[in-house]
Amino acid sequence: MSAFQSLREFLQRLEAEQQLLRVTEEVSLEPDLAAAACALAQLGETSPAIHFDRIKGYQNARVVMNVHGSWPNHALALGLDKHTSLRDQFFEFVRRYQQYPGGLERVTSAPWQELVVERDVNLFDLMPLFRLNRGDGGFYLDKACTVSRDPDDWDNDDVENVGIYRIQVKGRNRLGIQTVPQHDIAIHLAHAEARGEDLPVAIAVGNEPVITLVGAMPILYDQLEYKMAAALQGQPYRCVKTGKGLDVPWGSEYVLEGRVLAGQREPEGPFGEFPGYYSGGHRYPVIEIDRVSHCKDPIYDSVYVGKPWTELDFLQAMTTCAPLYVQVHESFPEVVAVNALYTHGLVVIVSTKTRFGGFAKSVGMRVLTTPHGLGYAKIVIVVDADVDPFDLKQVMWALSVKVNPAGDVLILPNLSENLLDPACQPGGMVHKMIIDATTPIAPDSRGDYGQELDTPPQTDAWRQKLGALMNDLQKGAR
Amino acid sequence: MESSRPPVCPRCRSTTIEVRSHSPVAGVWTVFGCATCLYAWRSTEPEENTDPDQYPAVFRLKPEDLADLPVAPSIPPRRRR
Repeated sequence: MSAFQSLREFLQRLEAEQQLLRVTEEVSLEPDLAAAACALAQLGETSPAIHFDRIKGYQNARVVMNVHGSWPNHALALGLDKHTSLRDQFFEFVRRYQQYPGGLERVTSAPWQELVVERDVNLFDLMPLFRLNRGDGGFYLDKACTVSRDPDDWDNDDVENVGIYRIQVKGRNRLGIQTVPQHDIAIHLAHAEARGEDLPVAIAVGNEPVITLVGAMPILYDQLEYKMAAALQGQPYRCVKTGKGLDVPWGSEYVLEGRVLAGQREPEGPFGEFPGYYSGGHRYPVIEIDRVSHCKDPIYDSVYVGKPWTELDFLQAMTTCAPLYVQVHESFPEVVAVNALYTHGLVVIVSTKTRFGGFAKSVGMRVLTTPHGLGYAKIVIVVDADVDPFDLKQVMWALSVKVNPAGDVLILPNLSENLLDPACQPGGMVHKMIIDATTPIAPDSRGDYGQELDTPPQTDAWRQKLGALMNDLQKGAR
Repeated sequence: MESSRPPVCPRCRSTTIEVRSHSPVAGVWTVFGCATCLYAWRSTEPEENTDPDQYPAVFRLKPEDLADLPVAPSIPPRRRR
């Protein structure tokens, strides 16, 4: 395992692994950047990150996208071999997740402190901001880590929060931020507003890849994201305090310091969101930026959000699977693995051992009662322990032959759901479904599952032998 | 394209148009913003983002509807000290 201290260090690694593509032609901010990132997602699950450094209107701006946008990049972010299988990435992610908490390494200076703008802040000048989708209300910071503390518990590090929230740049130093009530920063803001105070925030743009994953992870309110990032990196997380006392990653490219203005809400949105639909408009909190610090020749990191799959789906992949697995496994140790990769886990596939008839349905109901289940999981497919939930061919086989809809499909009416799920009726409410695709066992005697096929003797040995021969064949063809 | 200030917002047709920024390399583009609906656009974007007549109907807003947008999160009452 190797940990990266900065975005630049990770980009070097991606380049060395042939997972960074440098675009040398001159590009327009719109529509080229979003179009290129969207196209990359259409090119499959091994796409590289993409780097632009000739951007119309800027002398020396640099933009990187799709940094997390493939399984090889995701594996490399975790310091794993880029060929690590999805299933192995899942088990390694879960193993490290359960090492929480890691430590903090607080240092007093960072590269992002090199250049400071404190007067006449103009974010359009400082950062190559651009529109992602035609209906977006403006240009967004959509991959930045926003750091805040609880004004009622200021010195408690464990309730400091690092989260990725969409941020609309409305004016030179004026932002809108989406902090829905379920978000931890909304608790901080509520406490600040009850006191009649602005909430200090630091917004870190262009970070090493692990804190970005953790900022999107639904961990507990009193779990500090830096300590989770340290657990995932396998070493203490290096950060620096701002003048206001907020911890910021050492390796950030830009750090914006400002305040969420107490008691103010302004029109925000729409923004093309993770379900593949626009969010609509709301009146959301407002941030004023007082100070911007950045590295020399900073690199601006952005994620394209569109109809799945895009880079966003990789960011929300293991970060959703791992907490869900840990929570369900605590209640049901029979659970083997959880695949919540699809559209932020609106669909969840669980593989489990079963102890008696009906057991899988209970596992499915437990998924729906986790914190993730309250707002996301809508369709739960439960498969046997010998079905790899990450291999959809196996899952479809299980659905094809293990399911008798007469007794294996449960519809649970009017449960809670994320407002952004367009299937909600009304918003925030939806029916949910559990599909039991496990083999019925006693006392459930339905079906005829007595004569399952296995493989011929010597298949494993032949697989190894033929794999080596095929490798030789392909080498000879080069 | 260093363009002159457009007469109305492409999204809500208010006349409250402000210049947000000029391109650091002079004369390449201008970012405009609407002080009413807070829509922002760059002069060099496709016409569907810059021209009120080309702006997609599904995304248009009326200034009078802005006050009815849902507020999130709600603003808590001030605590007594």
